[in-house]
Amino acid sequence: MKTAFLALFAFSCLAQNEQDVASGKALFRSNCAFCHGLTAAGGRGPSLISPRLIHNTSDTDVKAIIKNGIAGTTMPAFESLQTDDLDHLVNYIRNLAGSDVKAATITGDVAHGRQVYSANGCANCHRVGNQGSIYGPELTRIGAARSADYLKQSIVDPSADILPEYQGVTVATKDGKKVRGVRINEDNFSVQIRKSDQTFAMLDKSDLQSVTSETKSLMPAYRLPMKDLGDLIAYMETLRGNINAAKDAEKAKGIH
Amino acid sequence: MKLSACLSLTLGLTCLSAQVTPARLDNALSEPKNWLTYWGDYSAIRHRNLKQVTADNVQNLRLDWIYQTGETGAFETVPLVVDGVMYITAPKGIAVALDAKSGRQLWQYKHAFPPDRKLSGVNRGMAISGDRLFMVTPDSNVVALEAKTGRLIWQAEMAPYKAGSHYGSLAPLVIHDKVLVGISGGEQGVRGFIDAYDIATGKRAWRFWTVPLKGEPGGDTWLGDSAMRGGGPAWMTGTYDPKLNLTYWGVGNPGPDLYGEVRQGDNLYSCSLVALDPDTGQLKWHFQFTPHDLHDWDAEETPMLLDIEWQGKPRKVVMQANRNAFFYILDRVTGEYLTGRPFAPQTWAKGLDDKGRPQLLPNTAPTPDGVKVCPGLAGATNWMAPSYNPDTKLFYIAVRNQCDVFYSEPPIYTEGKAYWGSVFRGATDEKESGSLKAYDPLTGKTAWEFPYQKAPWAGTLSTAGNLVFAGDEDGYLMAFNAKTGKNLWKMNTGARLVTSPITYEVDGRQYVTMPSGGSLLTFALPH
Repeated sequence: MKTAFLALFAFSCLAQNEQDVASGKALFRSNCAFCHGLTAAGGRGPSLISPRLIHNTSDTDVKAIIKNGIAGTTMPAFESLQTDDLDHLVNYIRNLAGSDVKAATITGDVAHGRQVYSANGCANCHRVGNQGSIYGPELTRIGAARSADYLKQSIVDPSADILPEYQGVTVATKDGKKVRGVRINEDNFSVQIRKSDQTFAMLDKSDLQSVTSETKSLMPAYRLPMKDLGDLIAYMETLRGNINAAKDAEKAKGIH
Repeated sequence: MKLSACLSLTLGLTCLSAQVTPARLDNALSEPKNWLTYWGDYSAIRHRNLKQVTADNVQNLRLDWIYQTGETGAFETVPLVVDGVMYITAPKGIAVALDAKSGRQLWQYKHAFPPDRKLSGVNRGMAISGDRLFMVTPDSNVVALEAKTGRLIWQAEMAPYKAGSHYGSLAPLVIHDKVLVGISGGEQGVRGFIDAYDIATGKRAWRFWTVPLKGEPGGDTWLGDSAMRGGGPAWMTGTYDPKLNLTYWGVGNPGPDLYGEVRQGDNLYSCSLVALDPDTGQLKWHFQFTPHDLHDWDAEETPMLLDIEWQGKPRKVVMQANRNAFFYILDRVTGEYLTGRPFAPQTWAKGLDDKGRPQLLPNTAPTPDGVKVCPGLAGATNWMAPSYNPDTKLFYIAVRNQCDVFYSEPPIYTEGKAYWGSVFRGATDEKESGSLKAYDPLTGKTAWEFPYQKAPWAGTLSTAGNLVFAGDEDGYLMAFNAKTGKNLWKMNTGARLVTSPITYEVDGRQYVTMPSGGSLLTFALPH
């Protein structure tokens, strides 16, 4: 009798746990997977199953991040999630981390990676801190924002995933000029482009012959020696600055 | 021409206090200066015989006044205009009366929510009868307001309030001595209904359950007791044929939205059009567009009533550009299916059989790993109203070209929480787009099409000035030549447009009104 009771108790616990996991999975897929990937290994957002995150971040911290978002990043605040939603979600993420899915581990020569970055002219399009160009995505905190796998893919095959805000576009004006750049906005009547010289082109479609969306990334694919690639990723992994941190911002002048 | 007090200049002053009689509602199209129902009239044609603004002068159209509600949240109202007074709603249970010439406020009503109800609910507008206005509230009440003052006359509860359950969002429909409303909550595990209330007392006259239970006709189309949480909301206003005395209502998705195993069967009357006797609520006929829907394709799109020539004979029909990407024509006397064709790209049905039932393609049901289906969850069109121009004989539709990946998981019902049966995500391999399509309903051919960068959420308006007005997702209110599709005028209103424009006339001046953001924008030609 007692055994039967215990078995029943265990069964109901198990069923409840399965329900919680299913609930966490559904929440994860609808809210998180778009950026962090179905397995949480990262995508347009960082890996959530890296040892760094799993071991250095408490459940309370993770829940606070989900609830409040991270200012200055693309991580939004999921204010409407309830306490039990957050419990199920964090539980599910921890479960994923405990499964077979492993985030890539990074080894490499950071100092050499910085040289690779410099030698390949990455700063002509990207900015780290105050150094570089605003044409391409800012990399100041890219190490915190993307998994190593994603960074690698972005370097060797940048067309694999193009963020909508960095979609390339080429327009031809009626007087035969061509303008190419990052499409900041395109509506039915106008298009605004960021050019590689870091200025805007703001155009009325009635003045244009054509507006052509690039099918490939504006960034060229880099064929680097394996070691250089590994070192470059190792360097990028160290880029974890806060672009909104007060210490990095200039102080207002003339106000006392 | 039908004699009406409001058409007579000499009776202009009487007109301001005139009652909106049933006869005026029956003949609303003969008063093109006014906009007397959510759809402008009972048929939802949304074409107005006003010709001051035309394809030749619309380039001079300019902003005349703005009314700012001060409210955030989707501003989906369609105003009523009655003899120079405009009535609008805003989120959070707000109703406002304005001078339709100047935009100056005459009164404002704020629904009195009990303290535990912090609701921001969307609202689509009001109905008027006599000197009373009718509105539903986010906490599922129907309120009757005095049209001259905004004072509350009566309040009736459609469903007991529970957080995360039923809610009210549509514009009511007045037919004779009753006000008809439907309930929202298709994602909340509710059982849907359409109600009628006595306009004098607020007493409920009848209820039509959109989801029948075991033992009732259609009850065997639901597995087990799944009908109890079967969804089938009615969140858009119906249309009405006074001669047949039938009212036509779209019914929304079955619940849980994306998981069908727990509700095997056709799931009547979800994703259907129902024709009801407005005096009794009795079902006369139904037609189900999407049996056993798994993609949230509510049949809430406009059921437009037209009298057309069909295969050489005059026929009373109802037309609907459905969220599932097919355009349907049904006989509105009998519900007989006449034709159905895709009006937008779709990947879920090979076609429709001779009864109009979709012939499903394989691998289109949501799965745990996701299945890409077009159109996406929001459909090939949605609540944004189409319009029909009897001169061009074209139907003007806002078309959404967008696909989703549909996932499914066995759902767990928790009271007060969404009952989706998993999730959907936008398909990332292609950019969404859209168009304004001028569609010939008889041939299924596209007469012209104006491409949109993004899938739209705003409807269309047709006028005798050879114009079609439309709105896009970037906030442009636009005017097009109804015959050729040439864009003649545009204005960036500064917020995405999520409802449909109207037109009206006061003191010999024609206006066009469109809500945008928290502002109501009204345009006219310069004096």
